[in-house]
Amino acid sequence: MRMRALKDALSFGDLPIVERICFAAFIIFCFVFPWVTEGSFAQAVMIQFLVFCLYGLGWNLIGGYGGQVALGQAKNVGMAAYTVALLNVRWDVPFWFSTPLGVIIATVESFVLGYFLFRLKGHYFAIATICVSLVWQQLFINWDFIGGARGIELPLRETPNFVYMQFASPTYYHYFAFLLVLGAILFMNWFRKSKLGYQLRAINANEDLAESLGISIHWVKVKAYCITGIFAGMGGAFYAVYYNYIDPFSVMHLELSVMIALMTMIGGAGSMWGPIIGAMILIPLDRYLGAWLGGSGIVGVDFMIYSAMVMVIAAYEPRGIWGIIEKARRKR
Amino acid sequence: MEMFISAVVSGLLMGMLFALVALGLAIIFGVMNIVNFAHGEFLMIGMYAAFLTATGLSIDPLLTLPVSAGLCFVLGVCSYYALVKYLLKGPMLAQLLGTFGLMIFLRYLAMAIFGPDYKTVEHGVLIGKSINWGPIVISYSKLGTAVISVLAFIIIFWIMNKTRLGMALKATALDVEAASYMGIDTEKMRGIAWGLGGASVGIAGALLMNFYYVFPTIGMLFVMIAFAVVALGGFGSIKGAFIAGLLMGLIIDLGGTYVGPQHKFALIYLTYFLVIVFRPQGLFGW
Repeated sequence: MRMRALKDALSFGDLPIVERICFAAFIIFCFVFPWVTEGSFAQAVMIQFLVFCLYGLGWNLIGGYGGQVALGQAKNVGMAAYTVALLNVRWDVPFWFSTPLGVIIATVESFVLGYFLFRLKGHYFAIATICVSLVWQQLFINWDFIGGARGIELPLRETPNFVYMQFASPTYYHYFAFLLVLGAILFMNWFRKSKLGYQLRAINANEDLAESLGISIHWVKVKAYCITGIFAGMGGAFYAVYYNYIDPFSVMHLELSVMIALMTMIGGAGSMWGPIIGAMILIPLDRYLGAWLGGSGIVGVDFMIYSAMVMVIAAYEPRGIWGIIEKARRKR
Repeated sequence: MEMFISAVVSGLLMGMLFALVALGLAIIFGVMNIVNFAHGEFLMIGMYAAFLTATGLSIDPLLTLPVSAGLCFVLGVCSYYALVKYLLKGPMLAQLLGTFGLMIFLRYLAMAIFGPDYKTVEHGVLIGKSINWGPIVISYSKLGTAVISVLAFIIIFWIMNKTRLGMALKATALDVEAASYMGIDTEKMRGIAWGLGGASVGIAGALLMNFYYVFPTIGMLFVMIAFAVVALGGFGSIKGAFIAGLLMGLIIDLGGTYVGPQHKFALIYLTYFLVIVFRPQGLFGW
């Protein structure tokens, strides 16, 4: 059984050859990238891209495969990031102990929340997740023990330190994030062939029919939501040690949740490569546009561009860029 | 006790405005079962329209009401024909993120044009005056706002219940196909529903400009209040929106007085959450 799952995760045999080549190229590109660009802006963009891939791959589970619009991933990111940062600052707990704890906290929160919220459907569910994440953000802003609105700054160690994940060069962070993303991709590769994956897609296609087939919709949704929480939590823990500074506006903010959802939607919700394509477009666009427009003082042009893209995609091709690719392929 | 009474009075007055904001959302949801996330942004645009006309022509903010209402009506109709019409064909995910995209777009457009500063109108008939009735202070601007909100609410309620247009809207809401067999142009009705939704929130924006400041991200706050009100009243129920608006005003003001003003907004979200978990159909929903 376990061997079977591992085999499923590692075999990409059922994908068309073009996709396999693209995937291999992607891996080689990520692997070689730090050698080409040492400690530059491009590398920072690349790391951010990898982190967003992680978030997006996680969100794709519940939002893409499951069709449940959960707009509160930022709270899971924030909880794990805060756990790591707080334990580091207050009790000097190493990254490798605090991360599992942070991820567990994020997952348990997802479980409890999902258990109650999945009684709701569609719009009600989406709005409720926004509400909950706003409540958490308000709490974190007003909670002095964890730094309130000022946030937490992680102390810098004197020497590069593996235990606290502090390195002089971003290359190490790059490889760590890359490993996380690779793990996430393998997980998704298993997931799309797993029973859970089929159940979720059935729920997305027709909830009543899925229920009549004996799928416990509520339980499947809660499970998927928890897995999404795990992904977001890992991204958050990484975020805390990579940026060394977190506050409720950078990790708990609704904009982060929105960005994750929009990115996946643009790339193609419910497809394996969608979130990666979305992140590949949005993150460089965001950062380079930000750097380019930064001097001129116009804020938010980046958000205007993606929201326009999302509107066009939602109206004409709800399956995103991946949907367009598939359509073109079928025509040929 | 005085504190309690002033909180109740101010809560009820604000509640009437919330009811008007929620009304627009309720109409749109009632007619085509889609949640307009950009509703708060319509309010923001209404406020900016009021602000610009009031300061640009140096007239009283009350007189800007038709400008805001008209602009938001057009905005609503345009967003229906340009975007929502196509969204309705797609899955739930596309519908939700589509109007969400509209919200983000309008918000950052305002940010790019007006900058993130807070802006207020300083002169006006109602601004800065109040009735002092013993320890209870009622500001004219809130009172006037409440009165006009209720009037606007009644007018829209009348349109929805007593006119042919309202009947056509209701028919569209109940069954699109059957309505179109009866010769109702359902496409147009849906456009009008968006327009009415926009107009009601535009009026609310112009009124709010009398005593509140405007900034590009104000929409989120009010759209969450409106969601909470609509959920409490029952999605699509106009009568429910009014009563729930008053209740929400009370919750916010009493909460702000007794729990602490910094938790005021957490209370709104909490109310929404509790309603939706324990009574998802709302007070008057079915």
